[in-house]
Amino acid sequence: MPDPIAAVARATPDPIARKVRGLSDRAIAWLFVAPTIFLLLAINIFPLIWTVRLSFTNYRANRPNEEVEWVGLRNYVRILTDDGIWANMQTTAHFLFWTLFFQVLIGFTLAWLINRKFKGNDLLTTLIVLPMMLSPAVVGNFWTFLYQPQIGLVNYVVELVTGTPASSFSMLGPGGYAPWSIVIVDTWMWTPFVMLICLAGLRSIPDYIYEAAEIDRASKWRQFWTITIPMVLPFLMLAVLFRGIENFKMFDMVVLLTGGGPGNETLLASIDLKREAFEKWRTGYSSAYAIILFVTVFGLASIYVKALNKVKER
Amino acid sequence: MTRFLSGLLRLRRGPWELLATLLIGLGVFMLMQPFALALYTWSFLVTLAGTVMFIIVSHFPD
Amino acid sequence: MSAYSVTEPTGRSKLVAGLLVTLYAVVTLLPLVWIISTGFKSGPDSISYPPKVVFDPSLEGYVNLFTTRTRVAAEEFQNLPPPETWYDEIVRDSGMVIAGPSRFGERFLNSVIIGFGSTFLSIFLGTLAAYAFSRFKVPLKDDLLFFILSTRMMPPIAVAIPIYLMYRELGLSDTHLGMILLYTAVNISLAVWLLKGFIDEIPREYEEAALIDGYTRFQAFRKVVLPQAATGIASTAIFCLIFAWNEYAFAVLLTSGTAQTAPPFIPTIIGVGGQDWPAVAAGATIFLLPVMIFTILLRKHLLRGITFGAVRK
Repeated sequence: MPDPIAAVARATPDPIARKVRGLSDRAIAWLFVAPTIFLLLAINIFPLIWTVRLSFTNYRANRPNEEVEWVGLRNYVRILTDDGIWANMQTTAHFLFWTLFFQVLIGFTLAWLINRKFKGNDLLTTLIVLPMMLSPAVVGNFWTFLYQPQIGLVNYVVELVTGTPASSFSMLGPGGYAPWSIVIVDTWMWTPFVMLICLAGLRSIPDYIYEAAEIDRASKWRQFWTITIPMVLPFLMLAVLFRGIENFKMFDMVVLLTGGGPGNETLLASIDLKREAFEKWRTGYSSAYAIILFVTVFGLASIYVKALNKVKER
Repeated sequence: MTRFLSGLLRLRRGPWELLATLLIGLGVFMLMQPFALALYTWSFLVTLAGTVMFIIVSHFPD
Repeated sequence: MSAYSVTEPTGRSKLVAGLLVTLYAVVTLLPLVWIISTGFKSGPDSISYPPKVVFDPSLEGYVNLFTTRTRVAAEEFQNLPPPETWYDEIVRDSGMVIAGPSRFGERFLNSVIIGFGSTFLSIFLGTLAAYAFSRFKVPLKDDLLFFILSTRMMPPIAVAIPIYLMYRELGLSDTHLGMILLYTAVNISLAVWLLKGFIDEIPREYEEAALIDGYTRFQAFRKVVLPQAATGIASTAIFCLIFAWNEYAFAVLLTSGTAQTAPPFIPTIIGVGGQDWPAVAAGATIFLLPVMIFTILLRKHLLRGITFGAVRK
């Protein structure tokens, strides 16, 4: 919005700047930004470069005195031709796809319902949002209790609804339910996230567009597909990308729920990486693994920032 | 479509970013698809190329 | 407003929407209610089947959370002096005596120290950087902002390997300082992005007026911008605090004793023959409650916080 006072202020040729005693603006800018950049260089970028270096070696952190050999691209080649790791990526994909699917479906529906502006929608929104702010680790740990085969609430509810005896199946044990159990907990936790962003998208649509469509006698169904969906889409993209990135690197909640088991059924890439790095201590090898995950996340993050700016312009 | 091509030729940011985005998307898909090990093997290079490309082309003029 | 508006939902559709959303809210809050109520159950009640909805409330879980207990031989048990406090009594009822305090208090305190320490640092550094990005021409501004945000996206396990090695060299493993610095580095991106949004909204004219009145840039920042940004700074601080409070991956990899926070500790609470669920639930309740309260306080700014300031309302 053009503001007359601001315009005048900007047009005033620099007597103000000259009046300023003390540091120049440029010096202040640097002084203010430098500590942040320095901290990030020290705690993020320096370690990252170190990881890249380690990824070309066979270093093992639990044997610091052993001679370190330069192995070139061998770690990368091994990881990228390994059937087991490929399988973990598919496990990750299963988790990613279904969590996004359910969260978008339920999250959008909820937002759409809340946007009817019924009485008390603010209070309900606040309550619904609670799970996503909680510690994933503590939540994951507690859901193992809800999933207990003999005594858990989930099995009890299933027995009540379907009549399947509660002790006849185990959500986290063998039987193939575990990959779905982690999808359920993640959906429970993060649906509100998608809902909030969709709600913002729905609320950003000005009423007059619908009014115009109504004059053109467009059906509600048509309005939904030609107005609502396209207008909410940038917001939805934002939510999907962010949840996608977060779930691609998912660690805390799942490691406490299943620890990757039973067998390798829920062994997501991050959990596998943690095992390689901090249990088997193959530091060089896991550094290469880390770089592969990192580049993927970084690529998605650049798309995310683009989506972010797109929404910001609205 | 012609605008897209002329944008590419004149090194405009929009169409090049779209290409880089598609490349990253392709790489991520290759990484996690269940169909062929070979695709998985080459996924990293595709994602890396897309990401580097994205960083470069985001400095092209609008 | 006209009496009839095409965009205003009808009364019946509102009612249906309200009912459906209420139903979802009930289902989604059930696990939380279950956590809180399990904290007040006795051991046997917590694992009874079918699950008990109505039960005699007991503080056993909370007592177990804060104490360690030992079993003593039957005749020795008879000869013990009568229990002095109510918590002694609860433990005696289960045939044991209190051996000492548990580590939960320490772990909780660590969470508080590291949470507040890193929040303070990120807000301090973040406000300065956000102000500079908002008001001055910083070279490569967009690249720096992207760089700052991208650091938050890094998978923690990927960064943890070299940080583990680096901290080992520097003697920062398992120290409060090490964890504070690490969480600051993770949170600062959020702080810069959010605060930049808040500062962008403060009209420049206020500062320019102050500059004309003879304030230096720095004074104008401190006396004009900071008070105006107070709400923004407060809500950003709560977001940073919640993140540091909830973080698990770094905590479990880089701390083991002195600086361990509550999230890696709570899952390790073990009772006789498996996890002591009332105690775990009690710990979870104490740990999650502050976050729930903060979330309710933050509700107006939630959207901003989770989208790095991109979506305002």
